[in-house]
Amino acid sequence: MGKPGSTASASGSEAGRTSDHVTAIREYLARRIEAATALELENVERIAVGWSHETWLFDARWSQAGTPRHLGLCLRRDPGNALLRDLSDLGTQFRVLECLEGTDVPAPKPYWYEPDPGVLGGPFVVMEKVPGHCPNPWGRAGRRFYAEAARRGTLPRRFTDALAALHNLDWRSRGLEFLGVPEAGTSEFARREVAKWRGLAERSGHPWEPVLADLLGWLEANAPVTERLVLAHGAYRTGNLLIHEDRISAMLDWELEVIGDPMYDVAYVLSDLNREGSELLSNLVPRNEFVRRYESETGIHIDEEACRYYQLLYAMRSCAFWMSASGLYAEGRSEDVRLARTAWSVPVVLERAARELGY
Amino acid sequence: MSPDELLGRLARTLRSEVGPAVANDYARTQAFLAAVVLEKLAGQLACEAAHLEARAADWTSLVRDLGASLAAPDAATGEPPVPGALADSVAALEQGGPEGMQAGLGRVVEALYRTRGSLGDREFEKLLARVRQTLRADLDRRLEYAR
Repeated sequence: MGKPGSTASASGSEAGRTSDHVTAIREYLARRIEAATALELENVERIAVGWSHETWLFDARWSQAGTPRHLGLCLRRDPGNALLRDLSDLGTQFRVLECLEGTDVPAPKPYWYEPDPGVLGGPFVVMEKVPGHCPNPWGRAGRRFYAEAARRGTLPRRFTDALAALHNLDWRSRGLEFLGVPEAGTSEFARREVAKWRGLAERSGHPWEPVLADLLGWLEANAPVTERLVLAHGAYRTGNLLIHEDRISAMLDWELEVIGDPMYDVAYVLSDLNREGSELLSNLVPRNEFVRRYESETGIHIDEEACRYYQLLYAMRSCAFWMSASGLYAEGRSEDVRLARTAWSVPVVLERAARELGY
Repeated sequence: MSPDELLGRLARTLRSEVGPAVANDYARTQAFLAAVVLEKLAGQLACEAAHLEARAADWTSLVRDLGASLAAPDAATGEPPVPGALADSVAALEQGGPEGMQAGLGRVVEALYRTRGSLGDREFEKLLARVRQTLRADLDRRLEYAR
């Protein structure tokens, strides 16, 4: 599931909306920050990260009892036609980030969640603007960045350590049970995920795909048993991680997190979907080094068979995602041409799945 | 000029003339992606006649082969080996014609998995392999313009 990496300043038709949003954000923050006066926003930019929510970065400056204050902020807004909207809402993301505060998992500090669509035209969250950047692993510059980081060696270790920290998290004590807890020792987790993504495909409006039906049948018949439950990110790879001075300053895209099988994340890391043209996992980490370090840091043995299952589940997930994306465009709910293009991604990802299934 | 040639030329104009002249990042990306979409459509249109013909031939042979499996009695019991839900899906595939093959095949695949228990693994694998042969051919055709 690729994502655009370029900065997307607002198009001409969006300029008026951008100005309205900046005014609304300033007024909102002035109400939220106690005794703030003369609050101003600076360095406002809308960036293209992911397909689901609009993301805005800015600096807020204000005066508090005569003392100048400053806070770098990131705002994510539900535009109302977001992909995965049914599967992930900003309120849940906000609660997850609250639960992660003070843990070893690098994540932005959440400040406010606003469910009222009357403020900005859709629910939104405001969180800390974490220092760092997020090179796009699909672009030439991004690939060069990760290749150089791989040679230095620190970032690949941090990549593995951050995933280990996530999987070592005591999610019960952090109050994350609200995400839903599948029964350990059963195949409930895998079945739940299959059902979740099947639903997205069925609601997409895209013509039904018989290869997808085959893939779904196989996944339902071969769901692995999950013995140990962890907080899984659901899309752990470069491009979803903010990097600052060869360390991971924040995991981004908390849209698909779930209590489930650690192999769900590990399979995503091991997948060749996320390392186009590179021998390195996620364009960054040598496979042997990742396996050795992850197992040593977590005490979790990497189950290759389970990983193969989850890689097929990812193919199904990608297919559902592209079907949903092209459906949004076909139904006129989005004018983003990126979504129109995804209709031709569906047979590509299905072909990969068909090969994995042996045909 | 054929429609696919026209779309191809429009795509080239968008890619080489319009896109580079657009200063705004977002709008430029949209222009380039519009070119990609037009190229895919052009490819799809160029293949359409040949693909329709091949799909019709695939449909005919698949319906014939599945029909033969439905008709053949089980060697051990003498009973029809195919459960009702699967027989119904094959009948729907036939009624839908080559135009309805995509949806019809989806129903056949789902019926196969649903009735696997009563079919038995060997029969299930045999029928699924035959259906997959058609699915593979269809995927290969779509990849001619999708990649």
